[in-house]
Amino acid sequence: MTLHAHGLRAWLLQRMSALYMTGYTFFVLFLFSSASISDYQNWHSWMADPFFSLATTIFFAALLVHAWVGIRDVIMDYAHSSLLRFILLTATGLSLFSIGIWMLRVVILVVIK
Amino acid sequence: MKFLIYRYNPETDAEPHMQEYELANVEPGMMLLNALERLKAQDETLSFRRSCGEGVCGSDGMNINGRNGLACITPLTVLKQPVELRPMPGLPVIRDLIVDMGQFFHQYRSVKPYLIRHDPDPEIEIKQSPEDRDKLDGLYECILCGCCTTSCPSFWWNPDLFRGPAALLQSARFLMDSRDQGTAERLDELEGPYRLFRCHTIMNCVDVCPKNLNPTSAIGNIKKLMVKHHI
Repeated sequence: MTLHAHGLRAWLLQRMSALYMTGYTFFVLFLFSSASISDYQNWHSWMADPFFSLATTIFFAALLVHAWVGIRDVIMDYAHSSLLRFILLTATGLSLFSIGIWMLRVVILVVIK
Repeated sequence: MKFLIYRYNPETDAEPHMQEYELANVEPGMMLLNALERLKAQDETLSFRRSCGEGVCGSDGMNINGRNGLACITPLTVLKQPVELRPMPGLPVIRDLIVDMGQFFHQYRSVKPYLIRHDPDPEIEIKQSPEDRDKLDGLYECILCGCCTTSCPSFWWNPDLFRGPAALLQSARFLMDSRDQGTAERLDELEGPYRLFRCHTIMNCVDVCPKNLNPTSAIGNIKKLMVKHHI
């Protein structure tokens, strides 16, 4: 088994996720500022919309991928011992994975309610 | 004029130290290298590299008041006193301001800084249109002084793995050359998380380059070419 780290793929994913997150952020800011989301009920109905919940899920996936590449880069720069690097990468991976699961739970709960 | 110069002779010193120097008669128009030569006349143990004295050979790269540059084209008038001179950071010190450039040139050699041709060599020179020749501007002028690479934090952290701005600028110089036929192998060689992609666009290289070149933009162009080539 090899855990081969990529260069171009990671870099592209980081750029593409950044673009998506920028677009999504502007869209959400627009929603909030145009007062179409004024209370919890309103937010709930927005989140239950298949398009918006899908867009939000993709946003969090992009956020996690972006964070993974960024933190991985920092660890590769500074942590030179293999053991330390392995521990840090595993801890980062697990934390990001938990955040992803938690976020999915929120979206699913909203959609099925 | 006051100077504070990094001194280290591994044969006699346990640790490096900073030594104060004073130069009495500073003439107008004097460059830092001229001052160093006068200081060497005072103290012949002071060691530094120099050759052409015109900013062309790239021998006298050093850290001047915290910023890498060439002593021969740095006027004394722009320097704050005491002028603090140190060897270029990130490379092993051989003595005083002289560093071991081995790692730097190893990375330079790794990008194959010469034309790769798969076709048999023609009888005459390989012609190039003026437009194609223009693509090499801003790339070929590098004098390999090492100022950029030794000011790059990514190179300090991974000098053995990251090619560094100078070597990548040279890689771009041959990738952009219409006569070169080694695009695929050059790009394959740079793939992986370290050789090219340790560049985090910190842009220290652009800030210090004595020839005003832009390695960061060259690195960006390599990445674009890589995307084009792989997709």
